[in-house]
Amino acid sequence: MIRFLFKGIIRDKNRSLLPVLVISIGVFLTVLGSCWFKGIFSDMIDVNANFSTGHVKIMSRAYADNAGQMPNDLALSEAGQLVEELQTAYPGLEWVQRIHFGGLLDVPDEAGETRGQGMATGWGIDFFSPGTQEPQRMNIPGSIVKGALPARPGEALISHEFAERFGIGIGDTVTLFGSTMYGGMAFANFTVAGAVRFGMRALDRGAIIIDITDAQAALDMADAAGEILGFFRDGRYDGARALQLKTDFNARYESETDEFAPLMLRLNDQNGLEDYLALSESISGIMIFIFVLAMSIVLWNTGLLGGLRRYNEFGIRLAMGEEKKHIYRTLIIESVLIGAIGSVVGTALGLAAALPLQEYGLSFGSAVQGGGIMMPEVFRTRVGPEAFYIGFIPGLVSMVLGNALSGIGIYRRRTAVLFKELSV
Amino acid sequence: MESIIQIEKLTKRFPVGTGEFTALKDINLAFGKGEFTGFVGPSGSGKTTLLNIIGSLDTPTEGEVTVLGHSIAHLTHRQSAKLRNQHLGFIFQTYNLFPVYTVYENVEFALLLQQMPAAERRKAVLDALEWVGLTDKAHSRPAQLSGGEGQRVAIARAMVKRPAIMLADEPTANLDSKNSHHILQTMAQLNKELKTTFLFATHDEKVMAYLRRIISLEDGRVVKDEAMTPQRQPGV
Ligand SMILES: Nc1ncnc2c1ncn2[C@@H]1O[C@H](COP(=O)(O)OP(=O)(O)O)[C@@H](O)[C@H]1O
Ligand SMILES: [Mg+2]
Repeated sequence: MIRFLFKGIIRDKNRSLLPVLVISIGVFLTVLGSCWFKGIFSDMIDVNANFSTGHVKIMSRAYADNAGQMPNDLALSEAGQLVEELQTAYPGLEWVQRIHFGGLLDVPDEAGETRGQGMATGWGIDFFSPGTQEPQRMNIPGSIVKGALPARPGEALISHEFAERFGIGIGDTVTLFGSTMYGGMAFANFTVAGAVRFGMRALDRGAIIIDITDAQAALDMADAAGEILGFFRDGRYDGARALQLKTDFNARYESETDEFAPLMLRLNDQNGLEDYLALSESISGIMIFIFVLAMSIVLWNTGLLGGLRRYNEFGIRLAMGEEKKHIYRTLIIESVLIGAIGSVVGTALGLAAALPLQEYGLSFGSAVQGGGIMMPEVFRTRVGPEAFYIGFIPGLVSMVLGNALSGIGIYRRRTAVLFKELSV
Repeated sequence: MESIIQIEKLTKRFPVGTGEFTALKDINLAFGKGEFTGFVGPSGSGKTTLLNIIGSLDTPTEGEVTVLGHSIAHLTHRQSAKLRNQHLGFIFQTYNLFPVYTVYENVEFALLLQQMPAAERRKAVLDALEWVGLTDKAHSRPAQLSGGEGQRVAIARAMVKRPAIMLADEPTANLDSKNSHHILQTMAQLNKELKTTFLFATHDEKVMAYLRRIISLEDGRVVKDEAMTPQRQPGV
């Protein structure tokens, strides 16, 4: 019987073409949309994790309370020791120290006079330990516009925009003015090794990236670090595992009385990412709901029209001794078949559109400016395993729902009335 | 002769506006196995209504109609579907073939509903196509057939399950004389070979020439019920 119905669908273009078209479009949009949102959200989360929050982050409680101000006077002391303890206790993560600081970059001319000055956000990260992942994590090699990674202490990367603005070339010297851990005035000279462009407003306006040991020396932070970041070794954020870790760590280290005692936060707990994570979990569901609703209404109507066109056929089938229930059931089976065809087509189209966008992305330039959250400028889709089946939910549900609704009229009426109406 | 259809005091009224219209009035009839009988009468005399009630597509308002031992008034939807599926065949003025299916598939459909095994089904379909002389059109679509061929497919589709009773409502109304005789020959032949009871509703002289019993209806009443010596016979 199913084979029989399938033939009917394939041959009767009136029965299948419009619904297949509607479903394909809806499924296409669902698949592309969900890959799109997933791409945006996971890029955003990755960027935030890699540049700012880690998968987990340890700070002193006081530092955490004022994190927005980069209060390095509240940094963790004996950070090296703490990292060692962390590596032993939680080997599933990679632990790195960072110093995030603010300062003024001064560009001197040949005579040593100030040629230009600008505010800069600074990072001290681990460039030089063997096997360090930090430059890759911040995508520095891929972001270098000119020059190269720092090769020795005393070298720095600065943002390309900043370099352009002040005409800074590779090998030039810049002076960083900041404040030491103890509130004193700090300044240090760096040789520019390269210029970077990350494609994120917040970073590209003015940034300096130096090795963490240089930062410690410049800011008088011997063996201290503002932040210790932990990253799961498989690179994927796992909220539940992070929570376990946080509970465990804080039970061991946190102290009511000592505001310098280390405190662990999860990615969720920082930069307002909790809401975004929740949204990213539910966005596919929301989209599916919307598409199911919209397409069901359209397909309900096409089902009604299609049903009218087939009144004669239904009448004959009644006369041939087919039960109303059976006719109704075959309508549903047909709609499952049509829904499946439309879903396959729509999913294929959706993937065909999403895959190149995963590779190349779409640039939104500076149109998007996140507040506390870091937003990448190039939006990419992300094609996960669910992209292959997610479209089938709206595709099948809406077609079956639409046809079930439109078929009810046939199902409800008495045979005699129906047969007369069916105008055999 | 034992009757397979009994009609006693059948009245059928339809609601029309605020009142009622009486389409059939106090009908009493009986039909035996193998009859080749027609209801004749002018348009609106109640032929179709009577055929539909016998075919369990409609129900009596009053009276009792028994078909193969089943009281039509008391069948559930499911039971009447089963009766039609197993024992009744319908032919209509328009052939009402399924346009998307081939001739073969149109005929096969009734047997699919009965869930007949494939091999048996295939044989039955080929037999039915042979009865109506359309073996070579098995894979044509209805749109590719002439009117006479279309009606022959409808006969094959109704006959393939070898029903006890065939109900044919104006089967020749859309056919020319040659094709009308062709399908009447076919039906008379099947009636003779398979002992199928045929009941016609018609006002076509060509049909009447084949009938062995003619029941005349006027304004919903039986006005005449006479046995005939058919002027035409299968094969003649
Ligand atoms: N469902 C119905 N509602 C109202 N009147 C009907 C209905 N079906 C048939 N009739 C009336 O019953 C009478 C007999 O109709 P029908 O049996 O179709 O006649 P015939 O087939 O002899 O031409 C006609 O006057 C017709 O208008
Ligand atoms: Mg009629």
